[in-house]
Amino acid sequence: MTAPVLSAKGITKSFGGRAVLKGIDLDAHRGDVVSILGGSGSGKSTFLRCLNLLEMPDAGTIEITGTRAPLVHDRQGKARIDNPKALGALRAKTAMVFQNFNLWSHMTVLDNIVAAPVHVHGTPRAQAVERAHALLEKVGMTGFAAHWPMQLSGGQQQRVAIARALATDPDLMLFDEPTSALDPERVREVLDLMRALAGEGRTMLIVTHEMAFAREVSSHVVHVRDGVIESMGPPAVMFGADASPVFRGFLSPH
Amino acid sequence: MDFFATTALGLIAAIPVTLLLFVASAIGSSLIAGGLVAAQQSRITRPIAQAWIFVFRGTPLLLQIFMVYYGLAALGPIRHGWLWPAFREPLFCAWLAMTCCCSAYIAEVLRGALTAIPKGQIEAALACGMGRWTRLRRVIMPQMLRLALPSYGNELVMMIKSTSLASSITVLDVTGVASQVIAHSYRTLEVFCLAAAVYLCMTAALTALLRRIERSLAPAGSRRA
Amino acid sequence: MIDTDLSLAALIGFGPDGWGWALMSGAVLTLAVALAAMAIGSVLGGVLAAMQASRRPWLVWIAATYGLVLRGVPELLVVLLLYFGTPELMAAVASLFGLPAPGSPPAFLTGSIAIGLVSAAYQAEVFRGGMLAVPHGQIEAAMAAGMGPATRLRRVILPQVLHHVLPPLGNIWQFNLKDSALVSITGLAELMRVSLVAAGSTRRPFVFFAAAMVLYLIMTSASSALFRLLERRGARWSKR
Repeated sequence: MTAPVLSAKGITKSFGGRAVLKGIDLDAHRGDVVSILGGSGSGKSTFLRCLNLLEMPDAGTIEITGTRAPLVHDRQGKARIDNPKALGALRAKTAMVFQNFNLWSHMTVLDNIVAAPVHVHGTPRAQAVERAHALLEKVGMTGFAAHWPMQLSGGQQQRVAIARALATDPDLMLFDEPTSALDPERVREVLDLMRALAGEGRTMLIVTHEMAFAREVSSHVVHVRDGVIESMGPPAVMFGADASPVFRGFLSPH
Repeated sequence: MDFFATTALGLIAAIPVTLLLFVASAIGSSLIAGGLVAAQQSRITRPIAQAWIFVFRGTPLLLQIFMVYYGLAALGPIRHGWLWPAFREPLFCAWLAMTCCCSAYIAEVLRGALTAIPKGQIEAALACGMGRWTRLRRVIMPQMLRLALPSYGNELVMMIKSTSLASSITVLDVTGVASQVIAHSYRTLEVFCLAAAVYLCMTAALTALLRRIERSLAPAGSRRA
Repeated sequence: MIDTDLSLAALIGFGPDGWGWALMSGAVLTLAVALAAMAIGSVLGGVLAAMQASRRPWLVWIAATYGLVLRGVPELLVVLLLYFGTPELMAAVASLFGLPAPGSPPAFLTGSIAIGLVSAAYQAEVFRGGMLAVPHGQIEAAMAAGMGPATRLRRVILPQVLHHVLPPLGNIWQFNLKDSALVSITGLAELMRVSLVAAGSTRRPFVFFAAAMVLYLIMTSASSALFRLLERRGARWSKR
């Protein structure tokens, strides 16, 4: 068994006295597509955001392809980064696609895609631009390189955001409810794109409400409830008769 | 401490001058500003209003004060006119300059508020058959005034501070008294602190009053959180 | 020199009795004072904005109080404070060391610092607004992409802040230009002072104040045209 791409252990997080994550362990291996499901307030998004340290867990360790998250906890339990360079190195191995796209509005589509490769990874601009055009074609946004995010629809912005995430060739891709802010017609386009990425062997962690997608595309399904992993397994099990009753209860309105 | 007390009393005694200048300027400039905005609505009078606003917003108030007090006084018609007794008075000249100057700024505030009225409000008024004056009176003016209030309040605060420039033509307002004391004593910092405190009290009182008015004018139901 | 018979053109012209050059150099000094004040205000304003955004309550309090006081006090008082107060301060410090009282610092310095101190209070408010205007999600995207704090600042935060602060900074610049006239009380030969001296010297106040007004109008309208140009260039990517 090769070393996992992601190894998260004991992730715990509280907001203002309220415990949101109560100790989550999760591993992901190369090529895994892990769908993380759960109700609102279950902590699933918080967990995802802990993995690239957008939120800092109160306890636990995170390791991504051998790079450890440089987290230390002081005596009051407050978390701190003790090595900014290591933080950068960790984040450089991941890429995140946000629910609200978060494209940089003062940069063109092309500049959005090349920003991280050029300014974080040191890729020469010409090379990054060439790769950006290839990625735009891959996500179906050829010809939009000189557009501004403001000029694009939600679905188009999200596809650019995915291209931006792919530009750094990350070891781990994190998707935080990527289709929740899209019109129903656009949801399909983005899901198809993500399906293609999964088919290429990308390692993906996806927080989503799209049950059909989770069932068809994932290698593993994780059900988070009340800050812990309630159950997890391959889709055949989780969506079948042997799933935990709690999870089946969660699924039933869907 | 005797110096402190005397200075403080002297400054406080000058407050009525500052307030008189302020209130008179506020009234005068607001009236003229209303006229300017009205003038901007007609093609013929708009250039005049624009020129007025351009000149009075583009030049320093201090220069305008000197222009009125010294400059106009040198002109024949003024010197021999029936308004001469007024133009001889520094307080009148300061008031005149401030009124003209601030009217330009307030006109811009009102104009901004006018353009900020949602189009739908005016369309609704048109749709139900309101005539021009009714529209103006029932829909446009109330909304314009409500939208203008925050910026108008800012202009008023700036006006209180601008009254200090009257001291440059011998008006004994708070700043006038303060600069006299500074020039005679060598205790600039203390005088500054006292004068600053006086002005801060005045602007704080004004701001509190404005906030009260803003709150009472807010449409019912908009005060949610 | 009560030459009231000199023609208008001769008075403000550039001839031997003309005040043309003096007015021009006054205008240049006005610009210099305004620029210096703007620069001081930007640096100090940036510091104040950063202080108010920090997590330390005492820093926030100092910055907030500074803003409150310097926005609530007439600029003329601040100019008076620096003009009369600085020599006093220097004399007091000198006497501590047993040295004789040094003269006053150059009027340009006290004048521009005075206007700069006031400008800083307004610019701090503008910068604070600008920082809040950057959508937090875009900052998170920058963090997620691995950008360090300096890269984030340079590539994402600053460009957007600059775009949002440009219009209000244009306003503040105009105020600096006009407030520079207050520095005339220090005796500095900027435009206001020159016109005052010329008016008194030739007993033709109307002419010279009008000339000064024209020069100020040229400076303020050129400034607004410049800022409008800059705003338009930067607005390609936003809805404004």
